[in-house]
Amino acid sequence: MVDISIADATVEQIIANQKGLVAIGAGLAVGLSGIASGIAEKDIGAAAVGAMAEREELFAKGLILTVIPETIVIFGLVIAILLIFL
Amino acid sequence: MAFLIKRGSKKYPYITARVRAMKSKLMLREVYPKLMNMDIAEITRFIEESEYKENVDELAQQYSDIDLIEHALNQNLARTYRKLQRISRDEPNFLITEYLRHWDIWNIKTILRGKNYGADPEEILDAVVAAGQLGYRQLTEISGMNSIEDIKSALALTPYYPVIEDYDGAMLSDVENNLDKLYYSRLLASLGRTKAEKLSLKFIRTEIDIKNLKTLFRTKKADLDKTIILELLIPGGVEIKTTDLNKLASLKWSDFLKALEDYSYWSVLSDVVSVKMDSLMDMEAVLDKYALAFASKISHYYPLSILPIFDYMLNKELEVRNIRTIVRGKEAQLADEAIRKHLVI
Repeated sequence: MVDISIADATVEQIIANQKGLVAIGAGLAVGLSGIASGIAEKDIGAAAVGAMAEREELFAKGLILTVIPETIVIFGLVIAILLIFL
Repeated sequence: MAFLIKRGSKKYPYITARVRAMKSKLMLREVYPKLMNMDIAEITRFIEESEYKENVDELAQQYSDIDLIEHALNQNLARTYRKLQRISRDEPNFLITEYLRHWDIWNIKTILRGKNYGADPEEILDAVVAAGQLGYRQLTEISGMNSIEDIKSALALTPYYPVIEDYDGAMLSDVENNLDKLYYSRLLASLGRTKAEKLSLKFIRTEIDIKNLKTLFRTKKADLDKTIILELLIPGGVEIKTTDLNKLASLKWSDFLKALEDYSYWSVLSDVVSVKMDSLMDMEAVLDKYALAFASKISHYYPLSILPIFDYMLNKELEVRNIRTIVRGKEAQLADEAIRKHLVI
C-alpha cells in the first residue's frame, strides 16, 4: 500500500488514483445492477417455471418475460463502458 | 436480505403461476350449456377427452356410466388437491393443508352418516373425497368397519377425535355440527399471524358468513327454534358476527329478510329473495356465485398470496359439483331449467 497524500502526489499518481476510482464506479454499476436483475428475475423465473410445468407452450413467453429485467444489468454495463472509455 | 425472505415473496411466484395455469385448464363457462344438451353417454365421452381422461381410464374397469363419472370426478378432485400440497412448501403448504381439512370433516361425516343409515361400504366410498389428511386407503378401511367403536378408535389419533369421542350412534347431527365448528375454530385459531394468514382469514371468514346465511335461510324457512338455529351456526364470520347471528336467529321470517338489507350480501340476495319464496335453490346458487366472484376478486388484489390458490380450489370444487349436478340431473330426467338453476357458473 503506497501512502499518497494529495499535496505530495505527482500528476501521474493523481491520474492513476482517479482511474482506480472510475474502475470501482464501473464495477459497482455492473455489480449492483446485476444483483438487482437477479432479484427481479428470481420471482419471474420461478413463476415462469411454474406456469410451464402445467402448460409447456408457455415456454417462449416465460423465457421472454424472465429476461426482461436483464435490461437493468445492460444499463449498468453501458454506464460502466461509458465510464471506462469516455 | 432478510426483508426479502420476510415478505415471503420467494414462496408464492412459483405456486401462484402454476395454479393460474391449472385454472386456465378448468372448463369454460360456455361448456356447461353444451353439456346440458348431451345425453349421459355423450357426457361420459366428453369427460373422457378432458382433464379427467386419466381418471376415467383408470376406473373404467371397475365402474360404468354414472358411477364411473362420479368416481372419476372425486378421484380427480382428490388428486388435484394432493398435487397442490405436493407442489407447495412452507407457508402455502401449511395453509393449503389446513384448508383441505374440511374434506376430512366431509369424509368423517359421510362415513358416520352412511353407517347410521346402514349403507354399504361401497356406497359410502362413492361419496368420499380423499383430499384431506385421511388417505383413500385409510378411508376404505374405516368405511369397512361395522361398529362405531372401531371407527372411533381408527380416528383416535386425529384432531377430530374429541368431537366424536362421545358419539354412540344417536344425535348424529350434533356431531356433524361440532365437527364443522371444530374445523373452523381450529382454522381461525391457527391463522392470523403473518400477512398471508390474515389474507386467508379474509377468505375463510367470508366462507363462514355464506355458510351461516344458507343455514339461517333454511332454518328460518322451516321455522325452527332460536336455540336450535344458534347451535347450527358457526361463529367467526367477517360481516355477520356473533351478535348479528343472535339477532338474526331470533327474528321472524319477514323481519329476518328485512334485517338482511343491512349487510353487503343483500346486493346479490335482493333479486332472488322475497317473503313468499318457495324454493331456496336460487338463494344458494347466488351465494355460491358470490363466493366465487369474491374469491376471484381478492385473488386479483393480492396476486402473490395464498388467495389465487384458494380461488382455484373453490373453482375446481364447483366444476366437479357442476358436472355432477348435470349428470345426476340428466339421470333423474330433470328439466334443463331445473338443472341450470343448480349450476354455479
